[in-house]
Amino acid sequence: MTRFVVRRLLSIVPTLWVIVTITFFLIRLAPGGPFVSEREIPAEAKAALSAKYGLDQPMHVQYFRYLTNVARFDFGPSYKFPSRSVREIILGALPTSLELGGLALLFALVIGIPIGAIAAMRQNSAWDHVPMGFAMLGVSIPNFVLGPLLIFVFALTLRWLPPALWGGLSHKILPVITLSAIYVAYIARLTRGGMLEVTRQDFIRTARAKGLPEWRIVVRHALRGGLLPVVSFLGPAVARAVTGAIVVEKIFAIPGVGQYFVNAAFNRDYTLVMGVVIFYAGFLILFNMIVDVMYGLLDPRVQME
Amino acid sequence: MGLESTAGKRGALVIALALATGISVPRLAARGEARAVVAPPPGGASAIANASTSSPKPQARSFGRSHPADPRVFRFTNGTEPEVLDPALMSAQSDGRIARGIFEGLTTEDPRTLDPLPGMATSWDISTDGLKYTFHVRHGALWTNGDAVTARDFEYSWLRVLHPDTPARYADIFYVIRNARAYKKKEIIDAQQVGIRAANDSTFVVDLATPTPYFMQLVSYYPFLPVHKATVEAFGDRWTRPEHIVTNGPFRLGVHKPNDRIELVRDPAYWDAVHVRLDRIILYATEDLSTMLNMYRAGMTDWNPSGYLPAQYVPYVRDYNDFRSGAYLGTYFYSFNVTQKPFDDVRVRRALASAVDREKIVKYLLYDSKTPWGGIVPPGFEKYPYPQGVVFDPEKGRALLAEAGFPGGKGFPKFEILFNTSQDHRKIAEAIQEMWKRELGVDVSLSNQEFASYMKATVGLQYQVARRSWIADYKDPNTFLYMLRGGDGNNRSGWTNARFDSLVTAAGAEMDPARRMRTLAGAEQIALNEMPFLPIYAYRTVELVAPYVRGWYPTALDNHPLKYLWLERVAGTGGGR
Repeated sequence: MTRFVVRRLLSIVPTLWVIVTITFFLIRLAPGGPFVSEREIPAEAKAALSAKYGLDQPMHVQYFRYLTNVARFDFGPSYKFPSRSVREIILGALPTSLELGGLALLFALVIGIPIGAIAAMRQNSAWDHVPMGFAMLGVSIPNFVLGPLLIFVFALTLRWLPPALWGGLSHKILPVITLSAIYVAYIARLTRGGMLEVTRQDFIRTARAKGLPEWRIVVRHALRGGLLPVVSFLGPAVARAVTGAIVVEKIFAIPGVGQYFVNAAFNRDYTLVMGVVIFYAGFLILFNMIVDVMYGLLDPRVQME
Repeated sequence: MGLESTAGKRGALVIALALATGISVPRLAARGEARAVVAPPPGGASAIANASTSSPKPQARSFGRSHPADPRVFRFTNGTEPEVLDPALMSAQSDGRIARGIFEGLTTEDPRTLDPLPGMATSWDISTDGLKYTFHVRHGALWTNGDAVTARDFEYSWLRVLHPDTPARYADIFYVIRNARAYKKKEIIDAQQVGIRAANDSTFVVDLATPTPYFMQLVSYYPFLPVHKATVEAFGDRWTRPEHIVTNGPFRLGVHKPNDRIELVRDPAYWDAVHVRLDRIILYATEDLSTMLNMYRAGMTDWNPSGYLPAQYVPYVRDYNDFRSGAYLGTYFYSFNVTQKPFDDVRVRRALASAVDREKIVKYLLYDSKTPWGGIVPPGFEKYPYPQGVVFDPEKGRALLAEAGFPGGKGFPKFEILFNTSQDHRKIAEAIQEMWKRELGVDVSLSNQEFASYMKATVGLQYQVARRSWIADYKDPNTFLYMLRGGDGNNRSGWTNARFDSLVTAAGAEMDPARRMRTLAGAEQIALNEMPFLPIYAYRTVELVAPYVRGWYPTALDNHPLKYLWLERVAGTGGGR
């Protein structure tokens, strides 16, 4: 087990290196540079800036310098926001992204699992068709449609909730629902599918034969096995909920990491783009690894090798 | 300076929903004649409130709140997260708003006319030849750390902008000062030769290269704001962080939560603090235009500034009593790359310009939120003798095109209109594409690029026709013509005209105001005859200002000095929430 974890942790390094390298050169291939503005910066100043950030050096020198800095967790200053370092920017926005993504997933689990379980236990009844119909909708409605819709109804028409900004509980409801809709849908469907498969198996029949009450069969036996697909979905889902909230962050003006991701690319803020990409990649890899470990814990058939 | 107004599809959806349900569409209330008269701002004469150039409708409902949430706190959305808070380095109007709230220059702006008022300088003398400006710096004005503000602060700050290593986008605006340009270009090393000097702690002397009649308009611009030397030198790029920054304006920087908000707090030690009525100003860093409008609608903000209200929203908000629209010194135009055939032929450029129906574009695509305009210098300069602009005359366009060797558009090479991503830019480009096809038989395709790629193409002259815009930096026609001189970094058309350049230069040295305006108009006439820049419309401001906001006036540069603002409950306005 420990060996497995250590090996997986070590494998992160080459993966990240490949990602860093590709991003490093790709962003520099994009036309324009970090010091472009509608009002021209005098050539002298542009030269001074390039020298300051080492952008006047040959590409391979820049690349190796960047690699050494990254190895020391130094991601450099942001070109666009010179008063802050890339690390400060990401760490400053991270708690918000974690909170938003975490709440959305939590909400999705709390709503999605019971719905999926009930649908499975009452297969082909209205308890199955209605929630699964909604789940279909949840998967298909993009959040840039759902968000404004919720804002229109709950913020602008009913005036129950604020339409934007990140603050107290009332600020969190709409963005969390918007972000979690797709996960509620996935989790409900995965739970249902997993449960249906499990309930057909012998050990459930044995449990029934033993005369266990139905709720106990569901909670103790069926759910445990039925949740495996949900667990494997959860790893990428956590990563996606945290890193993929770009649109929700924008609609609700939430100061998370996602806002920086898109803008940094548009601004050719090389260091910030790199920083966010490394962070996102690391986060995704880490959570996929956690899933693998969890899988082993939940299903004794999976061997850690 | 450029304007980027992007309206996302999400906004369209909100509007569509509003249309479908009829909820946010204003009921067109009876248009009252009465205008609310309010108390004058400090030092001013009595004024008409809501004095926008569109007729005010005090009887109508507000799109946003009708009563302040907290009368001591003014809140507004200020676009994307500010890049820098260092006034020497910034170049965005939204960043300038913050800088002018926390720093104060030699002069401040009159909230109505934007004419210079005493700021850190109590008075100033101008020599008879117009070359020497002597500013008398206020005694007792303090930095937030307790240091006195002196003439030496201005000497340091202005020379800092001009230092060759300072990435100041607005350095060129200082070039009217003696040797400023040479110092920036490293032609001289000694800063003492630059016409910027503190004679003593209270006397700041500026020597100009040429008499510059609009120099006092320049001085109130944010690159001229002072910074605190010891702080800048101690903290480098990080000196603007809330824990380090030292300022001298009516407000100090309280909170800075990146991508969320900036809070400015009234500074009781500010020399004119008795006239500052707001305790706090909250500027939300909000990027999405629909989000901003939602926030205003929900009463979370008191002002939705111009530039953040795309044309497509105007029909839905213009009949509310908090909608404001007024002249704004800016021009939207296309530039031709005159280094490429066939755009090197003036007849081709004029033919294409004659086939653009500006009235139609403004009326149907922009909902009259702009002014159709065939000139480069926008309306609003009373003393400027405007030359005849280009008019919609397709007949003439066809004749010119035939003369240039392309009768009925035959043989005209395929070319592209380049614009950066924005719904409004696209709509206009599509309309012009259609007009050129219909009137001249010329085929043009559209090329949409994101901003950095678009900039690279225009600066590098890798385009045929490109969307451009220019917003006045200061209140003088010179700001629109100066940048069109041959070789200027903001010209970006490859066009050079010696006569034009010499007229603009001559105007810069002309002391007689009327003659100066005539000279500038003469230069504009040349540019219009040569038509390297195809004018389309003049900007107007469109914004939402809550009815209880006082001390806010429509101004030609869309500046609204925060110092003079206050909030007041309005009696008898409907639609309260």
